[in-house]
Amino acid sequence: MGLYAITGGSSGIGAKTVEILKAQGHQVINIDLRNCDITANLATPEGRDEAINKLHEMCPDGLDGMICNAGVSGTCGNLALIISLNYFGTIRLAKGVFDLLEKKHGSCIVTSSNTISQGAGRLDIADILNNVGDEQRVINLVSQLDATNLSVQQSIYVATKYALARYVRRVSSSWAARGVRINAVAPGNVKTAMTANMGEAANHALNALPIPTKYGTESLMEPEEIGEVMAFLVSPNARGINGNVVFVDGGTDALLNSEKVY
Amino acid sequence: MRSIEKYVQAMENKDFAGLAELFAKDGTINDYCSNGTAQSEYHVYGREAIHMFFRNRFTFGKCSISEAQVVNDTQAEFVANYGGYLVMAIATVRREDENGLIERLTVRPK
Repeated sequence: MGLYAITGGSSGIGAKTVEILKAQGHQVINIDLRNCDITANLATPEGRDEAINKLHEMCPDGLDGMICNAGVSGTCGNLALIISLNYFGTIRLAKGVFDLLEKKHGSCIVTSSNTISQGAGRLDIADILNNVGDEQRVINLVSQLDATNLSVQQSIYVATKYALARYVRRVSSSWAARGVRINAVAPGNVKTAMTANMGEAANHALNALPIPTKYGTESLMEPEEIGEVMAFLVSPNARGINGNVVFVDGGTDALLNSEKVY
Repeated sequence: MRSIEKYVQAMENKDFAGLAELFAKDGTINDYCSNGTAQSEYHVYGREAIHMFFRNRFTFGKCSISEAQVVNDTQAEFVANYGGYLVMAIATVRREDENGLIERLTVRPK
């Protein structure tokens, strides 16, 4: 059975993924802020280093899989947190455990979002994230934006998720050549504690991102629908899949972007 | 009221449910105008997809029409707005079923 690590495994998609992997008999190390095996704040450089060091202590023989899932939505209203946790928290963890993954020819999964294909992201910010990678500089840039504006919040969120998907595409070939696969999962809107308590305006917007498999129900994706794909992708059964951004959104992306076949 | 008039009315009112009801179960909209804008062409297949697709487009202001004029039994001209990019367009009801539901409608630049 495998040894896997996951960030953000205490709730939502992460918690379901932990549950699924454990039910398959795997050992899972959960890195989160509470109810976890390693407590670390991945929004800070210190927290990231702490998590990476702990994983090296706990897994001297390597890791079969790393699922970088921790993140916040745009509606958190904290643009710096979105940048630091969603992008830098993910990239640092993925890179930081690469040697552990290499030891076992493991696999890495990054949580992106299906919003990356909907044209709402600040692609200039995504470019700076990918091409410059200077966390403080990006935080300085976004600190000049109106963090109370829902469109601004969403545009920065999407930028981080777009940059993550592109990062996966960029590094996947060299990682695979060294025996480590990396893929991204792009979920649609998922039922979480946060979406359960949204206001009328936010619900209106959510329902205007229709999920074809849920047609007529006004309901969102279940966390286990995403978790099951993550568990598959991180497993050796998915050994032929590398550098992919897998949309797990019940067909929203196909509905809105039918002409994008590649 | 002819199908093309109902189509224009639904588009003007941003009535995605009413728009979908105009189409046969497997009815399609092929919109070639948006190609060249920041959006891809629309090829929306099936009544439910039309319902969902235009719910999205209308809600997020990515699709609307203005200055509409029905020019004959099957065609209407209008200014199509794709998220702020304007295109003079002509919509054509290409085929209807025996119940008068649209099986194929195209939107092309005029």
